Amino acid sequence: MAKPKVASDWLSGCAGCHMSLLDIDERIIALTELIDLRATPITDLKEPDKDGVDVGILEGCINNTYNEEVAKRMRERCKILVALGDCAVFGGVPAMRNFSGAGEALKRAYIETESTDSEGKVPSDPELCKPTRVKAISEVVHVDVFVPGCPPSADVIFYVLSELAQGRMPELKGNMLDWH
Amino acid sequence: MVKLNIDGKTVKVLEGTTVLKAAEQAGIYIPTLCAHPQLTPYGGCRLCMVEVEGAGTLQPSCTLPVTEGMQIKTNTKKILDARKFVLTLIFSERNHFCMYCQVTDGDCELQNAAYDESMTHWPLQPNWQPYEVDASHKFFVLDHNRCILCRRCVRACNELVGNFTLGFKERGANSFLVADYGVPLGESTCISCGTCVQICPTGALIDRQSAYQGKEIEVDHHLSVCVDCSIGCQRDVLTRDNRLIRIEGDWDTSLNHGLLCEKGRFEPLAKECNRILTPLVRKDGSLKAATWDEAISAIIEKIKPLTGKKEKGLAVLASSRLSTESLALIDEVFNQGFEAAIVTSIEEDQTSSVAAEIAKELGKPFESKLDVLKDTDVALVLGADLATDHQVAGFFLKRQQASGTKLIVAGTKENRFIDKANLKLQQTKGTSLDLIESLTAALVELRKAKVEDLKAADALYSSSEKTGLAIDSLLKTAEYLSSAKKPVIVYGKGFVSNNNKVALKALLEFAALIGKNGAPLVGVKGQANSMAAAQLMLVKPFKADSVQAVYLALGDEIPTKKLTKDLENVPFVAVHAAYSSQLTANADVVLPAAIWAEEEGHYLNSDGRLQKNVKALEAPENVLDTVTTLQKIAELLNVKTKGDWKSQLLARVSSVEITQG
Repeated sequence: MAKPKVASDWLSGCAGCHMSLLDIDERIIALTELIDLRATPITDLKEPDKDGVDVGILEGCINNTYNEEVAKRMRERCKILVALGDCAVFGGVPAMRNFSGAGEALKRAYIETESTDSEGKVPSDPELCKPTRVKAISEVVHVDVFVPGCPPSADVIFYVLSELAQGRMPELKGNMLDWH
Repeated sequence: MVKLNIDGKTVKVLEGTTVLKAAEQAGIYIPTLCAHPQLTPYGGCRLCMVEVEGAGTLQPSCTLPVTEGMQIKTNTKKILDARKFVLTLIFSERNHFCMYCQVTDGDCELQNAAYDESMTHWPLQPNWQPYEVDASHKFFVLDHNRCILCRRCVRACNELVGNFTLGFKERGANSFLVADYGVPLGESTCISCGTCVQICPTGALIDRQSAYQGKEIEVDHHLSVCVDCSIGCQRDVLTRDNRLIRIEGDWDTSLNHGLLCEKGRFEPLAKECNRILTPLVRKDGSLKAATWDEAISAIIEKIKPLTGKKEKGLAVLASSRLSTESLALIDEVFNQGFEAAIVTSIEEDQTSSVAAEIAKELGKPFESKLDVLKDTDVALVLGADLATDHQVAGFFLKRQQASGTKLIVAGTKENRFIDKANLKLQQTKGTSLDLIESLTAALVELRKAKVEDLKAADALYSSSEKTGLAIDSLLKTAEYLSSAKKPVIVYGKGFVSNNNKVALKALLEFAALIGKNGAPLVGVKGQANSMAAAQLMLVKPFKADSVQAVYLALGDEIPTKKLTKDLENVPFVAVHAAYSSQLTANADVVLPAAIWAEEEGHYLNSDGRLQKNVKALEAPENVLDTVTTLQKIAELLNVKTKGDWKSQLLARVSSVEITQG
């Protein structure tokens, strides 16, 4: 049997979940013997294979129109979609802005910030993606495996990947659950 | 007994038991959120749903009473799905994002419930409606965004504390927690007991001091006893890395059942006092840092010549916040060994000493345990301001008013507890004895008691004149008391002030006249170890101008202005104190003392429970506890000590029976 292909990507997040993935340390060698690690934001190949992968992993929430495209592309190209971390599962820290609206958040960031001079303005180039209400990935595309945590611990990530690599669906419970 | 079946297990429980409690007794776990062992079941959160054979829908087990032959299932797929659905709805109601909440990692009952059901996510997002955060209270913050509307805080405020500050407005999804009629908490009738904060299952009510200071998994617990008044509430002291984090009540304790007041819960952490961290000795007119040896030698040098001198000798004064071990050692070293001119406590509240004298005369205890306050239908409170001091005893009474208990309070206009009374006896003139005489006359006038040679009508009229109390109020008091099933009388410092033994004796006689068996009497007594001080006879009057020198074991007590002034003209003053004050600034030698959390020892509370305050913190370097310091002094004075504090304490009859814990 060919090794299952695994690809990952990140949306609006802090990259912490990918850092936690790297925290599995030398176990990554054992893992690469079980899986074919394809495109990830931390390897050279950036986009998941056009002919598809077995497992797609997404970190971060959907925060703008570009994130939405990336999430949909991953969903189309993978069989099992994993939402990795609190942002992907719930919306996470970026979702705080939903309580005030994206407009307020942009104003605070680009105009009201203490270090911004009187010229501050919200970028509005047509090339830029449009901010949207912050969404958990499951609000946009179907998610098969939810791995909450901010970030999920390296042990939990290793467990999830090794289960998927061996053709089983991971079941998170007890001490492995940590929503932060 | 009722027999029922839960998950195939036969369970026998008392009639009236709820299915939830029956399952608990059978060791079957049913998750809950709005239920709490100290509160009346409410049935609001629906997490505890069970399947009952024959019932069309799932039933909340917390409010469902058992019936004979009931068949209950607690873990079918239908129930497990329902639990997840209930939790999903709760999560979707407001902002329950765990990543921006400090109550997490085992501290949040909502999060724990989700973990128990192995929820990896929530299927519904909230509607992103922000709610206000009420940060107006000095000790805690109310974040409405975290509220799950379980009403535990409201029920605790009403049922346990009897304060009725918290309530709910609107219904359904618009339900909103309010203080009074919707004022900020800091401006409300809240008395800062913090029970709501302790009982909140989520991060809706959080303590300011301990927020972000340490979660449950990171702190150490020290089951101890409060030393801020003589109720001696059992409490849990939370520390981390030798730092005080928070004080909580312990729901499982027998005296206060988890309740604490502002003084016991928040004030020890909010105290802003300067610690004394090194011994100080007065040289050339000013206090200079010294070693312990230098400071103690300076004391010994001054006091040793006063050994055995009864005139112009040494006065040894002790705080009644000190442990029994400390107080007994003071008595042993300075009274029995050194034979100082006077050895006494600086207790101003005379309840303990007057009660001890009466007990001595009677030859037996005459007071009841505090438990009688928890189940009474008429309580007469005399000269005790239970809204200011001994507040938890006040909670026991206030919380029963909603179910019909009559609270009669006699006191001056300064007594804040009188506002809570159903019947106010605000005495404008006359003495405590006059009050008891007028109440006795009222009792006789109503033919509820017989007292020889008492012309009730005349006595009632004249005593009403003396006290300024309306005859109608006196008769009503007598009527309530004599028709009560479980009457109780509480007296405090206002009643026995000026060493009023006569009034207390009259009260004893009055209490005996009530009902068939008389009314039990409870004395609330000054500071934490006031009763132990009285047992050790450290309650003598002290006159500063009659002594040459004073040794004051102050511990962490803040001295009164009166004491500071009294000691101003004493030629030599040595103080063992934790905090600097005008008194320590005036002293000749100052020794740094440990505070309550740094020193272990026993305390005798108002109802004679001998309880242990455990050490929760290590004292700073160079700071010594009272016992160690006294031992050092005793050695240099060549006084041998046995340290048998327990037999010293039990050597004489007490006003209330002394019991362990």
